[in-house]
Amino acid sequence: MSDSLLSLSLQHRVGGLSMDVAFTLTHPWTVLFGPSGSGKTTVLRAIAGFLRPDEASITYGPNHTTLIDTRRHIFVPAHRRPVRSAGQAARLFPHRSVRQNLTYGMVSDAKSGAMPGLVDEIISLFQLEGLQDRRPDGLSGGEQQRISVARAVVAASAYAGPEKPLLLLDEPFTGLDARLRDELLEGLREWLARWEVPVLSVTHALGEAFQLGAEVIRIADGRVVRQGPVAVVLAEERRRLLEQLRSE
Amino acid sequence: MDLEALWLTLRLAATTTMILLLIALPLAWWIAAGRGVARALVQAVVALPLVLPPTVLGFYLLIAMGPLTAPGRLLIQLFGHPLAFSFEGLLIGSVLYSLPFAVQPLVAGFESVDQGYVEAAAGLGASPWRTFFSVVLPMARSSLLTSAVLAFTHTVGEFGVVLMLGGNIPGATRTLSISLYDLVEDSNYAAANRTALALVVFAMAALVLIYLLPGVRRSRGRQADLVR
Repeated sequence: MSDSLLSLSLQHRVGGLSMDVAFTLTHPWTVLFGPSGSGKTTVLRAIAGFLRPDEASITYGPNHTTLIDTRRHIFVPAHRRPVRSAGQAARLFPHRSVRQNLTYGMVSDAKSGAMPGLVDEIISLFQLEGLQDRRPDGLSGGEQQRISVARAVVAASAYAGPEKPLLLLDEPFTGLDARLRDELLEGLREWLARWEVPVLSVTHALGEAFQLGAEVIRIADGRVVRQGPVAVVLAEERRRLLEQLRSE
Repeated sequence: MDLEALWLTLRLAATTTMILLLIALPLAWWIAAGRGVARALVQAVVALPLVLPPTVLGFYLLIAMGPLTAPGRLLIQLFGHPLAFSFEGLLIGSVLYSLPFAVQPLVAGFESVDQGYVEAAAGLGASPWRTFFSVVLPMARSSLLTSAVLAFTHTVGEFGVVLMLGGNIPGATRTLSISLYDLVEDSNYAAANRTALALVVFAMAALVLIYLLPGVRRSRGRQADLVR
C-alpha cells in the first residue's frame, strides 16, 4: 500500500441516502462512476472539505496526511487541503475577466513569474484563445464549464506544497459536444500526467471513462460496488451499449 | 440655512458611516454565515433602533455616559469630560441608531452570494479571508454602497437621539434637524423651509442613487424593504 494516494472511509446520511463508502486511490486518474443520486458528488465534497461527514477518515499522499478524522476530531479546512477542485456548476467569479479567473488559484510568487506561460498553455489547451479578456456573463455554458475546469487545473499545476495536490473534477465535460470533449480530455490527461497531478473525477459518461483508460470506482446507492480497470468494471455497460448500437 | 449646523451634520454623518462600515462588515458577514439563537439575538439587538422610539435609545445612552454608571465614569475618565452633550457622544448615539441601516443591506447582500462561489474559491486554495475580500465583497458591492448611503442619510435625518444626547450646542451638537426645530420654535418659517427643503432634496437624491444601483431592483432584499 506504499503507493496509495488517498485512503477514504466515509459514513454519511444525506437526504434519503445512507452512504458507507471506502476506497483507496492508487492510479493517476480514477473515475467515480454511477447513477445520479448515488453519492458521487458527496464523496468529492467530503474530500474537498466542503462537507462535514457524520463519520470519516481521509488521508492523502505518501505521508498519509490526515485531511479529516472524525474520531480524533481532526478537520483540515478546505483551503488548507492539498486538493484543488472544480464543481459541477462553473461558478466563475463574475467581476473578474476570464484570465483573472484562471489565475485566481495561483500563489502570488507563481503569478509574478515563477511559472511563465503556464496560463497561456492552459488557455491554448482548453481552446480559450480570444476569451481571456472577456467577463464570464457573456459566455456560453460550455465555455464557462471549460474555464472552470481550466481554472482548477491552473491551481493544481501551480500548487506550492511539498506534494502534488489531488485534482477533483465533478462531471468536468458534461454538456460539451463529443468531439471537443474528446480533444480536451486527451489534452488534459497528457497535461496532468506531465505535471504528475493525480485526478479523481465524477462522470456517468461511459465514453469518457473508456477514453481515459482510467481506474474506475463504481458507486451505487451510497456503496462502492466495484473497483478496477475500466475494461473490467464497466464491461457490462460497454457490451449493452454496443448491442444497442448494433441493433439500430 | 445654518451653515455651522450643515457642516456639523455632514461631519457627523461621514464619521458615523465610516465607523459603521467597519463594524457592519464583519457583523453582517457573521450574521449571514449561519443560523442559530446567538445570531437571532444579535440580529434583534441590531434591529432594535428600527422599532424603538429614538428617545429611549437616547435616554439610556445619556444614563450610560453619565457619572451614574461605571462605564459612564470610565468614559469620563478616558475623555476627560462627559460624553453626553459632546460631538463624541453624538457619534456613539448615531452609530447605534443607524446600525440596522448599515447591517441589514449587507446581510441581504452577503446572503445573496451563492455559497457555491465561496466553495469555488476555497477549492482553489483561497483562505476565508481572501475569499471574503476577493469574491464575496465584490459580488455584494451594491449592498455595500446601499449600506453606506443609508447609514449616511439616516444619520443626517436623526433627531430624537440627538436631542436627548446632545442637546443644542452650536458647532458641537446642533445638527440640521435640531436647527430646523429651533427655527420653527422661533416661527421663522422661511428659514425653516429652506432647511427642510434642503433635507428633502438630499434624501431624495440619495434614494434615487440607491435605486439606480445595479442589483438592488433585481434582488429586492431587505434593503429595499427598509427604504420603502
